[in-house]
Amino acid sequence: MIGTIPLAEVLIVSGALFCIGLCGALLRRNAIQIFLSIELMMNSANLALLGYGASLGTREGQVVVFFVIAIAAAEAAVGLAIFVALFRHTETIDVNRINLLKW
Amino acid sequence: MDRLVFEAAAAVTIVFAALMVLSRNPVHSVLSLVVAFFSLAICYVLLFAPFIAVIQVIVYAGAILVLFLFVLMLLNVGRERPEKTGHPIQTLLSGVGIVLFAGFLLSTLRQSVTSAPRALAGEPNVLGKPEALAREFFGGYLLHFEAVSVLLLAALVGAFVLARRESHREPRG
Repeated sequence: MIGTIPLAEVLIVSGALFCIGLCGALLRRNAIQIFLSIELMMNSANLALLGYGASLGTREGQVVVFFVIAIAAAEAAVGLAIFVALFRHTETIDVNRINLLKW
Repeated sequence: MDRLVFEAAAAVTIVFAALMVLSRNPVHSVLSLVVAFFSLAICYVLLFAPFIAVIQVIVYAGAILVLFLFVLMLLNVGRERPEKTGHPIQTLLSGVGIVLFAGFLLSTLRQSVTSAPRALAGEPNVLGKPEALAREFFGGYLLHFEAVSVLLLAALVGAFVLARRESHREPRG
């Protein structure tokens, strides 16, 4: 229990968000929407970390979440730059049409 | 009361996350994700992490998603065409896979809940205070903290190099 919130509830919300993000990453074809889904999955992991941290009464969960957010920012910057470069090359960010590395 | 607010915020998060996945227009996706991240920040506050909640709003909803919007405007991609590529069996299999994965994940989480220790050490209100977190960052996690700053610098340079127009040098294939 975290205050009056049971830990199981936090974890179920986190698992549901992760599955929604996984759905999006598998079913969308727009590269930016896939990227957004990956961000959502990362946030669900953050929620689980914070839930466990609060339940165990430690601060390590929040520290890890802080690092995850910083790394997500770096990843978003580089990923979006890759999409811009890719769009310049191929005029699309539909992942079905991007098959440069496929033979 | 806490629990009610948490459940409401979690429900809003899940609904808008689903909207994000389902909408074909990428701009609508980003906007629904902004709402989802805001309500997730409310959840973080209720989990005794007010500092992380503020970071979530400023960095995620404020910076990262605005970056996404800017790139979407720059690329000017329209809505996804509802074309059918690949076999319908692929869609079916991915649906089955996701359902199986969800079941696996939830059962694992349930197990971990029953086996987790129930000690709520320390005052919960001190848990997420920025001062206490700063002591962690500049104490035991100083090396990690500095490594993250180097990583952000590397990402900055990398993004600049990747997104720059190649006008002065030979195209390298």
